[in-house]
Parts: sequence; C-alpha cells; structure tokens
Amino acid sequence: MTMSTCVELKQLEFRWPGAQSALLSIPELTLARGERVILRGASGSGKSTLLSLIAGIHTAGPRQVQVLGHDLAQLSQHQRDRLRANEIGYIFQQFNLLPYLSAVANVTMACQFAPARRARLADADREASARQLLTRLGLTYAQQQQPAQQLSVGQQQRVAAARALLGSPALIIADEPTSALDQGHRDEFIKLLFEACDAQQTTLLFVTHDATLVPLFPRAIELDEINQAVTNV
Amino acid sequence: MFKLAWASLWNRRGSVWLTVLAIAVSTLLLLGVERIRVQTQDNFANTISGTDLIVGARTGSTELLLSSVFHIGNLSNTMSWQSYSYLQELPGVAWHIPMAMGDSVQGLPVIATNDSLFDYFRYGNKRPLEFAAGHNFAAANEVTVAVLGAEAASELGLRVADDLVIAHGTGEISFSNHEAHPFKVVGVLAATGTPIDRGVFIPLAGQGLVHGDYLPADVHGHDDSHEHEHGHAHNEPPVYTLSAVLLGLENPALALRLQRTVNTYKAEALSAIMPGLALQNFWRTLSLFERALVTISGLVVVTGLLGMLTTLLASLRERRREMAVLRAIGAGPITILGLLVFEALLVTLGGTLLGTLGLYAVLLFGADLLQSTLGIQVTASLLTKRELALLGAIIAAAILLSLYPAWRAYRNALADGLTVKI
Repeated sequence: MTMSTCVELKQLEFRWPGAQSALLSIPELTLARGERVILRGASGSGKSTLLSLIAGIHTAGPRQVQVLGHDLAQLSQHQRDRLRANEIGYIFQQFNLLPYLSAVANVTMACQFAPARRARLADADREASARQLLTRLGLTYAQQQQPAQQLSVGQQQRVAAARALLGSPALIIADEPTSALDQGHRDEFIKLLFEACDAQQTTLLFVTHDATLVPLFPRAIELDEINQAVTNV
Repeated sequence: MFKLAWASLWNRRGSVWLTVLAIAVSTLLLLGVERIRVQTQDNFANTISGTDLIVGARTGSTELLLSSVFHIGNLSNTMSWQSYSYLQELPGVAWHIPMAMGDSVQGLPVIATNDSLFDYFRYGNKRPLEFAAGHNFAAANEVTVAVLGAEAASELGLRVADDLVIAHGTGEISFSNHEAHPFKVVGVLAATGTPIDRGVFIPLAGQGLVHGDYLPADVHGHDDSHEHEHGHAHNEPPVYTLSAVLLGLENPALALRLQRTVNTYKAEALSAIMPGLALQNFWRTLSLFERALVTISGLVVVTGLLGMLTTLLASLRERRREMAVLRAIGAGPITILGLLVFEALLVTLGGTLLGTLGLYAVLLFGADLLQSTLGIQVTASLLTKRELALLGAIIAAAILLSLYPAWRAYRNALADGLTVKI
C-alpha cells in the first residue's frame, strides 16, 4: 500500500450476523488517489454493504479494509466516525439534506464533525467556501438561502455534492446519486461532479445499477465479477 | 449541536409547541397546587395564636376547633354561664374571651362576644386585632351594635354607622329575621387573612336581647308576656349559654394541667383543647386530601411528559433519513443519542419556563379572584427550594424518559448506517 492508494480491500469476507453464507468475498480491490471509478451491480448484490464497510459504518476482519492507510478494523467506532467525517464525502440516492436547513447550511454541516475538513478550507469562513462551491455547481444566491425542501431534486443533489466536496475529502462515495434524476440532469450532474473532483484531486467511487453510465468513467468495476461469494437469493 | 437541535425542533414546531404547552400546563398545575398547599397550611396555622385553651361543652376537639376558630359548623351543646364564671376563677387564667355562635348575616357567622376579643385575641405571629375604622363595643355604650371583619364589611357593603339585621340560624336565607332589633355598625376590623375577616361580632348582651335572654332595664316590664320577665338582677348574665371560651394563661406550661381540671369538672361536662395541637391533628386529617391533590398534579405532569415521549418516538420514524445524513457526515451514534436527549431538554425547559411564567401571571393577576372565590391567599413570592426541586424533578424525569427514544435512535443509527429503506 502506497500513499497513492485511497481504498484497498484484501481478502474481504463479510457476512451479516446470523447469515448462512458470506455476502461479500472480494480477494482484492484497490482504488488509487484521484481515480474515478464506477462500481456496477444489480440490486441486492451487496453494493450498499460494501459502501458501508468502506465508510466505516460496519466493520470486517483485520486488514481486510484499508482507507488512506488506516485499517478500519483497528479503529474504534469514534475514530471511524471521525475518519469518515474528515475524509469521506457521501452522496445518497436522494433525501441527502436536512430539509429544514438552508442549502448553504446543509453544505457547511459537512465540517460539523470534521476538523480536518475545516482546516483544509480555502476560505477561513465556512459559509463563504460553501457558497463558492454552490455557485460553481450552478445554484443562485437565492437558491442557496432557501430551505432544502423547497429545492428541486436536481438542485438538492447538487447541494449534496457540494456538501460531499467541501473541505476536500480524499474520497467521495456516491450511492446511485442520479437515479432520481432524468437523463439531462443526470449527465450534467456527473459532469459537474467530475470537474469538482478533478479540481480537488478527490477519488470518486460511483455506485450504480445503471449500465448506461459505465462509458462515462475511465474505470468500471462489475461487482459480480470481483465478488466470489455465491449469491443464492 | 444546539443549532441543529433547535432547527430540527423548529421544523416540527406544530407538534413541538403542543408538547411544550402540555408540559407548561402540567408544570403550572404542579407548582400552583404546591403553592396553594403550602400557603393554605401557613394561613391555617396562623388563624390563632396566644390562646392556650379553648373550652366548650363536651364534644370532639375538631368540632370545637372548627366552630370556635373557623366559625364553621354548629355546636349542638352549649356551656352554661355558670361554667364560664367557674373558668374565670381558675388559677392562672390571664384572660378569657366568651363566644356564642349560631346566628348569621347573609351566610356570614355572627359571633357574640365582648371586648376581650379585641383586647386579647392574637393571630399569626401574636398579632392583635386592629380597627380599620370605628371602635369596640364599650365605646358605643349600647348593646345593639356590631363590629365587622374586613371581608364581612366589604361583602355586606356596610360601613360604620350603617344598620345591620341579624337572622337566626346559620343559613343564607332565614325565615326568622330579628328585624325588631337592627344592629348599628360601630367598627370595622383591619384584614387579618384569618376567619376573623368573615365574622360579624356583636356584644353578648345584643345576642341575649334578640333571643330574649336579656332585657335592658328600660325594656323590662313593658312586655308582660315575655318569659324572662321575672327577676332580672343587676348581675344577671347577658346570655345563659355560650358556645366556647378562649382562655389565655399566665404560664402556657400550665395548659395541660388546666385542661385536665376542665375536662374533669363535675358540674357540667366540658371539653378543653389546646388549639396548636388540635390544629395539627386537624391538618393531619386534611392531609389525605392534600396528598390526593399533589398526586393528581403529579400524574398530570407524567401525562405531559408521556406526550413528549410520544412526539419524540413518532418523529423517529420520519427522521431516520435525517439520522442517516448525520451519520454520513461523521456524527457518531452517541451524538445522535445526545441530539435527542438535548431536544427533549429544550422542550422541557421551554415547557417548565412557560409554566413558571404562567404561575406568576396567575399569582399577579388572579390573586384577588382566588381570594374572593376560593378564599385562598397566595402571594407571588420567589420560587421556594421545594418548588425548584419540583422543576428539577420534571426536567430530570424528561431526560430520563427521552433516553428511551434516544436509545432507539442510537440503535437505528447503528443498524441502518447509511442505508435507510423507507
């Protein structure tokens, strides 16, 4: 593992407590820093579980999951939460935002539990940094002030992207972020995400079941191909 | 964290307001009941002081206490004037106040007595009675005169020099008005906050006159059919019977011995009670009612808090997304737990604060109404230690209760992680 490695999986075996067989069994997977990877898999293939392992919500065995050189199994719950806060931006399929906060407040919240991200901000003022990012992602000043629940789904996803990007985390995990968008908005969203990731040298792990997105990414991984666990649903 | 909890509550302000209101009302009730309870007890203990013994015909101590001090109820037995003379002669008796009850003026008790009442009666911290206007019986030099308690005067709308008609019996409406003998108001007492305020005081001779016990010299002989026409010597008593006598002793330590002497008096069956002890006993019998009141208001608080618990639990389901978002940006499960406890704390603090403000609003603006309708005296004094402890208990109970939804949220946060299926 070198410093240019962002995520490294080795002999990952994971089963839910009480489950008969392993859900995930991945001999090896490495994501380099700054890489843009699309991970494709059908529903129920273990995508979400894999993401929660990388994000440190759940843990696998020792040395099986390493993020930025940290063996997640060796970290305490609090340390994993802190690592996620500092180094991982997470974008959900939808409902990414706290509906009662304004768009800009949703973005600055990324720094709430993340001292490292606060320290990395170009502008000392969190709100100013969040505004820059939102403006770059195409939200007007007025939209930035609105409560998140009043924005359209497309706008909400861009706010979610801004929150994931603020403070330049090393990795962005996007879990089907475009599934609620129509094709026009989808392509535009991915374009904006790429630009922002390039600007910050951020690794992007984009997860989808949609095969039509695969050609847009330099590297594509089929979960079924790397996962050797026998899935008998 | 505070901002987040606040924003989240604000987002759900409709149901949150109702919860705050429920807690406010229950707090108001609890503090109100507590205050009325304490102040009633204080008022109660202040009704009489300095009197060492109360003597009446043989009866229960509560009956004697109620009729002589609170002017409530009717003593069926009376003691004779001869016994009163005997009491006066007992060694160590410093002063004595005779009382004859049974009449009323528009529901207010009429107490026939003498000027000893105004000279020797003490209440609260040994405070004497004071005249707000006018003077006592002796200065009037007549028998058909009356002195009114402060409340009685305002309720009857009478002032010094006005006329007053006394009815026989204690009912509000009476068929036998003693209209033949209107009484003239010669004095009005200052307010005391005791049952004295509601009393109408007339001289014993005045009562004797309306009941036909006593005939002044000029009336004597004009009415031949009168049954007491014969033999009115100069030392004839103004009334033949009394309801009670209050005794003050030169040495209060003698009270116990004197009580036994009176209780074993052979010529007439008498009861002597020590007012302090009797008041305590009586209060103890009331404490059941008092405890019920406190229990009910306590249960209302529990209801208010359960309402909050329900609101919190109901909100958890719709907030699982919110929790997942917070987890995604690095909030630990403990933070989620803390957030919910903190929300409950905010709601309860808001509720108790509002309830306390409500209490003071009631005390400041409703004190007169309480006094006039329920006869309860309350003052808007600072919160007592006990009241602060009650508030603390409400808040502590709220935090304790909120641990359940908080723990549920914690569990959800651990189990759901970042994937919530709704």
